[in-house]
Amino acid sequence: MLQAELREESRTLMRKPREQEQKKLPEVNSIRLQIGDVCCAFQFNDDDVYNRLREYYSVFLTDNEPDIIMELEGLDRLNAEDLGKAISRTKYIHDGKNNFETSSKIMSGRYNLLSRFIKITGEKKLVDPQSKLNHLNRMVSLAYYTACKVKYGEPYPAMLVHGCGILRNGHALIFTGPSGAGKTTLAGLCGEQDGEVINDEMVLVSRPDAANKSVTVRSSPILGTFPCQRRVTAPLHSILLLKQGEKTSSRRLNKTEDYLRVMRQIITPAYIGQMNKRAIITLIADFSVEIISSIPVFELEFNLDKESLWKTVAEVEGTPHKEVKS
Amino acid sequence: MTAKQITKAKNIISRRVGEETVVIKDDGLSLYILNKTAAFIWDMCDGQFDIDEMVVKICERFEVTPEEASEDVKKILKVLTKMGIIK
Repeated sequence: MLQAELREESRTLMRKPREQEQKKLPEVNSIRLQIGDVCCAFQFNDDDVYNRLREYYSVFLTDNEPDIIMELEGLDRLNAEDLGKAISRTKYIHDGKNNFETSSKIMSGRYNLLSRFIKITGEKKLVDPQSKLNHLNRMVSLAYYTACKVKYGEPYPAMLVHGCGILRNGHALIFTGPSGAGKTTLAGLCGEQDGEVINDEMVLVSRPDAANKSVTVRSSPILGTFPCQRRVTAPLHSILLLKQGEKTSSRRLNKTEDYLRVMRQIITPAYIGQMNKRAIITLIADFSVEIISSIPVFELEFNLDKESLWKTVAEVEGTPHKEVKS
Repeated sequence: MTAKQITKAKNIISRRVGEETVVIKDDGLSLYILNKTAAFIWDMCDGQFDIDEMVVKICERFEVTPEEASEDVKKILKVLTKMGIIK
């Protein structure tokens, strides 16, 4: 009767976004990105890269006062092949005095959270949107959490969640799951009549409102395959955990399963120089509890049949499904 | 393990999720799920209960004999110790 079940899982809980970078320059080559409630300024010493970044992040540009400034000094020492090899063997080394470097020498930097300033020097390709080796998503994630740290302290008002956000019927749905679960595939199956892809890679998810437990989803400049057309803010209706299969159906899971699977999709909330893993895991653990206590979570098994997919999603939403004319 | 010495390890973070408890080691690499019974015992691992007192509490909470409760408490404490989440 008292048979206790103890399940053990040894998995890495902390998901990291892609990678990281750097450069430096005059104020004129500065872009300011609005990321949720914080503004992050990035300065570059390369006109071409600056112009490409300005276009790449055009939807998120703002004139607001920055909460953090990241100065990036780009170097052009390695070709793509050598840089790729260097990245694969890169380890970050902090000296405990607000300085860091990498074992592969592709990047180094310093920071001062009191003055809200980060300076990074490194290979230019790491921040060039045209480069397949760019680490822009990780750079933006780092800047975002650092800005949250200096502006709000912990816990942060919103966390980055690895998932495809879709706007439908005035609310947002987050389709999430591990890499390969089908987030981008699902975004590709989203026609105009089905909804609007907010972002197929990562969205910002607020902590639940204390009064009514509502959660807000916002676009993030951590971009995937689909271009971000505009900044979207919408109430979160539900989270759907993707599972590709033979058929399309949805089902509720138990709370523990919700918790574990949602938790693994939260981007590690680490600010620059953050080395306290316990603090990071505590933030993830608490945020996950808050979210699954406020928002329904479903497992969505789906195949590539668009019609049954959106019909099932509509059932999840509890709204009538509009027949699609082919 | 003797009276008043059962405590949670310091390097863990635990959160109640529904009727279960999720225990995470703070290196982020290990995670354990305790069901309702294990979580009940886990909650008592605060240095304030010895095994006999845990057995009493178990009998109050669940419909089991003291013998069954004692066996389960010892078994669960052994597993939790092996996991390294109590000491």
